[in-house]
Amino acid sequence: MTVLGRLLRSQQAGLLLVIVGLAVALSLLAGTHVDPVSGATVNNFLNSYTLIQTATDASFFAIMAVGATIVIIAAGIDLSVGSVYALAGVGMALAIRALHPQGALATVMLALGVAVSIGFLAGLLNGAMVVGLRVHPFIITLGTMWILRGIAFVSSKAESILLPEPLTRVAKASLGMGASLYPVPMLSMLLVSVAGAIYLSRTVMGRHVFAIGGNVEASRFSGLRIGRIQMGVYLVSGVTAGLSSFLGASFYGSASCGDATGYELYVIASAVVGGASLSGGKGSAINAMLGAILIVLIRQSIRTLHFDQNYEWIIIGCAIVLAVVLDQSSTRFAARRLARASLKGASRAPSTRPADDKTGHSKKREAG
Amino acid sequence: MRTKLVGSAGAGATFGVAALFALAFAIAAPACNRNRAAGGAGAGDPAAPTGGAGATRTIRIAMIAKSSTNPVFLSARTGAETTAKELSAKTGVPIEVSWLTPPQEDGQIQAQRIAQAVNEGASAILVSCSDAGKVTGAIDDAVARGVPVMTFDSDAPQSKRFSFYGVDDHAIGQEVMAELAKQIDGRGRIAILAGNQNAPNLRMRVDAVKAEAAKHPGITIVGTFYHMETPQDAASEVIRVNNAYPDIRGWAMVGGWALYTKTLLTDLDPKNVKIVAVDALAPELPYVEKGLTPVLIAQSPYLWGQIGVTTVVDKIFYKKTVPTIIPMQPVRVTKDNLGSWARQLQQWGFVDVPEQYLKMP
Repeated sequence: MTVLGRLLRSQQAGLLLVIVGLAVALSLLAGTHVDPVSGATVNNFLNSYTLIQTATDASFFAIMAVGATIVIIAAGIDLSVGSVYALAGVGMALAIRALHPQGALATVMLALGVAVSIGFLAGLLNGAMVVGLRVHPFIITLGTMWILRGIAFVSSKAESILLPEPLTRVAKASLGMGASLYPVPMLSMLLVSVAGAIYLSRTVMGRHVFAIGGNVEASRFSGLRIGRIQMGVYLVSGVTAGLSSFLGASFYGSASCGDATGYELYVIASAVVGGASLSGGKGSAINAMLGAILIVLIRQSIRTLHFDQNYEWIIIGCAIVLAVVLDQSSTRFAARRLARASLKGASRAPSTRPADDKTGHSKKREAG
Repeated sequence: MRTKLVGSAGAGATFGVAALFALAFAIAAPACNRNRAAGGAGAGDPAAPTGGAGATRTIRIAMIAKSSTNPVFLSARTGAETTAKELSAKTGVPIEVSWLTPPQEDGQIQAQRIAQAVNEGASAILVSCSDAGKVTGAIDDAVARGVPVMTFDSDAPQSKRFSFYGVDDHAIGQEVMAELAKQIDGRGRIAILAGNQNAPNLRMRVDAVKAEAAKHPGITIVGTFYHMETPQDAASEVIRVNNAYPDIRGWAMVGGWALYTKTLLTDLDPKNVKIVAVDALAPELPYVEKGLTPVLIAQSPYLWGQIGVTTVVDKIFYKKTVPTIIPMQPVRVTKDNLGSWARQLQQWGFVDVPEQYLKMP
């Protein structure tokens, strides 16, 4: 198979094609403007600022979506990621305010450490309750969603806390790309997605996640430690939310208890549009990232093409429902096709069993 | 086998998404905004960011209010669009307003939309900040890229915005409390309805209410109550608090959200409770008539748009020097001026002003 063929048959091919197609359409239809600084005529979509801005907007969802996808693959759900994001941001801001770290490196390390630790603890809380209380994760994480945001509210006294300059400098580092171009969130998104993909496809733990999501009873009888694996996926989800919060709060320069309200739905939508199955056993970290990019691109296109932005929620809602419905139809179709292919293979083998004759007959009838 | 199934399923999702775009375009295309339908600088039109006297290129002003579900911001939009049309005729330069307000309050989304507006060639940006901390960086980036930014209603004072238009939040908070103190004879327990806890303008009003209340030893504040800035959320919060503190004699509301519903007209007795609130939109007028809210301290949301667009055009077209702070004078609405205020609302484009108030002297 050629490289192109392999690419076209990969899990990501479809989403990539849609994203590229949409980007091309936007580039052609977006129009142009004159840059006030350089005086050059610039395409309204196909310019480095818009492309990086789109990736930046997606990155905060996408990083959380990688963690959420791992939970979804394990047949769980995590509705608390938005609240973890808010609490981690508020926690790191309060820690910096209280400890006054000296120097840029100490500030950044403290903020990162606190944000990721809060994400870890929140994930531990979710995992422990899901495993220990044996209550559906929807209920547990619905509860922690409110609890964690409430803690953020009380601890911050509803204040939007400004973060020190060193954090903004890190999150908004131009890395030599030029002024007002900030690729750090985008690069972080890529790194986290690749790490998630490696975790899921190249590690034993990742395969265990697929196994319990596909069939928890079979996994239990196979000797897998179900509770431990479930705990692990919520930890990963919490840590990705903490990391996303560190990046988001640093990028925007402040943290408040109202941050990321409702983002859990965008995160789950990203995973689902990326092909993750809410019944478990299926999903991809890279696809979750692409799903997040696609959702942000839909939002971007509504504005770039001057459509009425009040249609944004309708369009995103339709995208999710349609993607899942057609995904399920496609899965059933693929399963039937594989079954037919295996029967066809079996019929070619020399056999006198009646079942083979019947299959061959059936195949002929379809061909005719 | 798993890999194949996953791959096929991903393709299924893709077909779904692809089909979605056809659907999305079918739904949204007829709903292109008025600017584009009017042939403004949309797809394919080069738009200059600024125009000196004699320039003929479009001036595009991106308007980013706090939330597109709040009626005061819809009135601001009407003010901005009407003024843009008037100034287009006056200057001979097409001026259009691009409405980029998020559906719900979210400082992060506002910051993203400021960046998008700059990327797409906005000539200037008008923004009411949901969270000053979140948007300050985006405002400064926009200014660094040559796009002037003006704030209205809720400021980002640490940013490089060139001007702010709005009420003095400290003064309006003080006025709300002073009026409430008069209404309850300077004694009793009161509560503060505070809206979004992250909005700097609302926090300033709340602080001023508390400072003013401290001047009245007979008044006790039972609490400051935040809520989602929707009428239903606000009204439910009021009812919950009233149930918990049945002896509350007054409400200082730093925004009018709860009074956009009718429920408090029947749930609260004007003999026992008095409300003084900021804003005076059409749904709030029955509260004044009934005496439950003897005084409303009205902002003029239409003027956010009108003065905002005028100031932007003054700066980037006429190259005038504009003040850094343009104070809005609030209007005191009582039974005495209910009719004239109702007619003013109607002139500003509010279509739901009850006929009975329009007929009042």
